[in-house]
Amino acid sequence: MGRGSRWLGVAVGAVCVFLLLPIVVVILTAFNAGSYLRFPPQGFSLRWFVSFAHNSTFTSSFLFSLELAALATALAAVLGTLGALFAVRHAGRWANALRLLMVAPLELPAILTGVALLIFFYGIRLRTQGLMTLLIGHTLICIPFVFLAVSVVLTHFDTNLEEAARSLGADGWRTFLRVTLPLIKVGIVSGATLAFVSSFGEFPISLLLSGVQATPLPLQLFDYLRFSFDPTAAAVGTVNIALTVSVVLLTERWVGLESLYRGGRR
Amino acid sequence: MAVFFVAPYANMLLISFLTPGSGQPYALPFTLANYARSVTDAFNWRVLWNTCWYAALTAAICLVLAYPLAYRLARARGRAKAALLVIVLSPLLLDVVIRSYGWMILLADNGLINQLLRKLGLHPVQLMYNAFGVVVGLTHVFLPFMVLSLLGSLETLNPDIELAARSLGARGWQAFWRVVWPLSLPGVFAGTVLVFVLAASSYVIPSLLGENAVLTMPLLIAQRVLTVFNWPSGAALAMFMSVFVLGLVGVYAVLMNRAMRGLR
Repeated sequence: MGRGSRWLGVAVGAVCVFLLLPIVVVILTAFNAGSYLRFPPQGFSLRWFVSFAHNSTFTSSFLFSLELAALATALAAVLGTLGALFAVRHAGRWANALRLLMVAPLELPAILTGVALLIFFYGIRLRTQGLMTLLIGHTLICIPFVFLAVSVVLTHFDTNLEEAARSLGADGWRTFLRVTLPLIKVGIVSGATLAFVSSFGEFPISLLLSGVQATPLPLQLFDYLRFSFDPTAAAVGTVNIALTVSVVLLTERWVGLESLYRGGRR
Repeated sequence: MAVFFVAPYANMLLISFLTPGSGQPYALPFTLANYARSVTDAFNWRVLWNTCWYAALTAAICLVLAYPLAYRLARARGRAKAALLVIVLSPLLLDVVIRSYGWMILLADNGLINQLLRKLGLHPVQLMYNAFGVVVGLTHVFLPFMVLSLLGSLETLNPDIELAARSLGARGWQAFWRVVWPLSLPGVFAGTVLVFVLAASSYVIPSLLGENAVLTMPLLIAQRVLTVFNWPSGAALAMFMSVFVLGLVGVYAVLMNRAMRGLR
């Protein structure tokens, strides 16, 4: 037993290193003074962050991505929650079909969804290439996360609480605001966190739907990396990592990380 | 949802039957030519074969790497479990482009690994802009999905079962192969299918880590739509790929089902 579990430990350690290695390397490169990473590192420097801050294409893309992710998350939070409420409580025998539909954008290749949307927007004469089309695409990708997380919470929901509120004289709307909403908050918040993070990093949809004036950050970074290895990209990446980590930590403070794992993923 | 999801897909299906126009992206009349061309072109088959081969390889490697981790996770408790979970899940939350960049720094011709090789007096090796780089990148991105799938079935497994096998005289490996492995097959199935499908439809990794040396189906479709501007052909290719990948998954499901029944 002893030797077997030691080997297991080594294997697990190696896989963890494999998982974290590229991320650590990006962060090291960002703080390294040299123009590419070597060992030993050539000293600590913030020059690549300064270079990022002075690069207006990157900063405007960064802000645009934030705006896009925030809007898409807000829309998805509302639509996903409504969808989950409807699917769990009122859909009856359509519940399964509805569930499949709501989760579908997560399971079908995003690149196909992107192609389909692009052609569709052209067909309905909606000006492609702008915030509007990107927002629709991103919201579509975000909805499943909220839907899944809220559905999980709702299936464990004690409906007696709502009935109690009603019997004490609250009307439908008040019951929802004061009783239902606070109870499903965990699901909404953890779903919205995943939605925000995945919208912020979403690539294929953005590739097909973005235009010249409106380029989300991952796309900008991708274009940049095709021609240069400059550590400015590493600085952008590190800021990204910091943002993602802080969003997740905030969620952890608010509703707990375990809910993120249980509610958000299949 | 119905308007912006179902309608576009239906529309794409429709357009895949139209003729590529000269002044506009598509035109009447309806035709099967796009499909005929997609299916008969040997080049498309080669690209499709590449795509599926990389995806299958990725799924297999992910399985080997994820199994010990999931096994350990299923038996861990409290803090150790939380820490391991964070390590497994955190890469999932980061932008794929950034993770690819990390691999580019490591694998480039004058990247970290080749610098190390030179210091050791060895020949530098080309690790990127080829199939190797693509599979490494894909494995890294989709490993967490495999761990989560395996974890699902390993966690429901009672650890006492393994102890029981041992107390009946099974050695460590025997207990694993005859008892734990068969019982975890549903998780293995779910994980490999998930990783295969995700890897086959991935865009960023093959284009950044493969550059022009590796062409996969999603790259080809995006190229048809964005650069060549032949929407009907792109749509037909997309349908062709979806059907083919789903077909492979179906065949795999049948084989897996038979294997699982054979064990019982």
